[in-house]
Amino acid sequence: MTIDGQTLIKVENIYKVFGEFHALAGISEEIHKGEVVVIVGPSGSGKSTFLRSLNLLEIPTRGKILFDGVDITDKKIDINKHRQKMGMVFQHFNLFPHKTILDNITLAPIKLLKKSKAEAEKEAMALLKRVGLEEKANSYPSQLSGGQKQRIAIVRSLAMQPEVMLFDEPTSALDPEMVGEVLELMKNLAREGMTMVVVTHEMGFAKEVATRVMFMDAGQIKEQGTPEEFFGNPKDERLKEFLSKII
Amino acid sequence: MLESLQRRFYLNFIKDDRWKYIWDGLGTTLKVTLFAVILGIVLGFLVAVVRSTYEKTGKLRILNFLCKIYLTVIRGTPVVVQLLIIYFVIFGSVKIDKVMVAVLAFGLNSGAYVAEIFRSGIMSIDNGQFEAGRSLGFNYAQTMFHIIMPQAFKNVLPALGNEFIVLLKETSVSGYIAMQDLTKGGDIIRSQTYDAFMPLLSVAAVYLVMVMIFTKLVSILERRLRNSDH
Repeated sequence: MTIDGQTLIKVENIYKVFGEFHALAGISEEIHKGEVVVIVGPSGSGKSTFLRSLNLLEIPTRGKILFDGVDITDKKIDINKHRQKMGMVFQHFNLFPHKTILDNITLAPIKLLKKSKAEAEKEAMALLKRVGLEEKANSYPSQLSGGQKQRIAIVRSLAMQPEVMLFDEPTSALDPEMVGEVLELMKNLAREGMTMVVVTHEMGFAKEVATRVMFMDAGQIKEQGTPEEFFGNPKDERLKEFLSKII
Repeated sequence: MLESLQRRFYLNFIKDDRWKYIWDGLGTTLKVTLFAVILGIVLGFLVAVVRSTYEKTGKLRILNFLCKIYLTVIRGTPVVVQLLIIYFVIFGSVKIDKVMVAVLAFGLNSGAYVAEIFRSGIMSIDNGQFEAGRSLGFNYAQTMFHIIMPQAFKNVLPALGNEFIVLLKETSVSGYIAMQDLTKGGDIIRSQTYDAFMPLLSVAAVYLVMVMIFTKLVSILERRLRNSDH
């Protein structure tokens, strides 16, 4: 896995405070193009909040986030333009239940990228074919299994041709037998060089495809490294304890 | 017995073309209901958008405050009183069509209830839908329009249909400003023939049939919308 080193997202000392609670307590970090960064940590550690602040679904209380060199925490910029370049996949899929699979995928490209319906549908069908779900194009989300829904949700994000994909516990709501198909798709994306930030509990995925694994606790990044160092030789006491519990 | 019924029917409806009171009254009732519903839906929709935008984002604080006053006043006072105030106080010194006054009064009144129906529909949609829209790059209004509203509308359709039925029947108090709607039409016949039974039961039957037809239409629409996403 090659990393060309170019910084895609730069996080400068962000805090997120809910009342007295510090969900994020001063994080500075860089995500480079082509990286697959996996974030692990106990629940309540702030890992989802951190991920969701990268596209400003969670607005940091203070600190800056630069995406492609632009400060997206600046209130004067049009965040919607930048979000188009950051795909996001949610734990609960969040497909639009009132639209067919094809409409779910083409809605944003047609409305936001001003693509023609024909062009958007052609691209959508190509993506659907890639994930083996082209026969579901005219189905509704409620007719799909959890694993299929999540693959469609990934395709919906990919249709916007994002520069980075953010995954917020993408397999946590799935039945065990459906986890594999979603992880397989994510692995393929990683191999193709997609920049990815993934919050997950799937340690196998982290070991196999991550270029970097981060451990978060109490709103801070306590330790990070390549999967080999991270799992083979953890230093932080909390991380050791965490790993002993889950592996 | 049969003969007496025939005679009363003739007296109440045929003689002096008295059926016209019912027929014209029905026309007025439908006209007032239709335009009041349109006004109510437009008003209710706008108020609901302001209220839910405030609840979701904290914006539109002043507008939200005004909307709350509107909701409190309208829902806190009887519709008859509102009708009388609009006719005798607000337009007291102006010559104005009574139908207009009724449309205004019932529309303003209905808007308050429709607003709360729409708002509950918007708030009932899972926030994940909203986040999915925003994460794709849609702005707040686009997310509302393409993703939240269509789902919310489907959820509130039964309540909206119910509100329409309530409104249709509520217009029967228009007699308070001497507007000749369906109810008033029947009542005029009663005052002329001194027969209460026939005209008033006919009026009741006409309302009943209208409500039944409308209920059927709403259930057809509901089924259609349900088919579209199983």
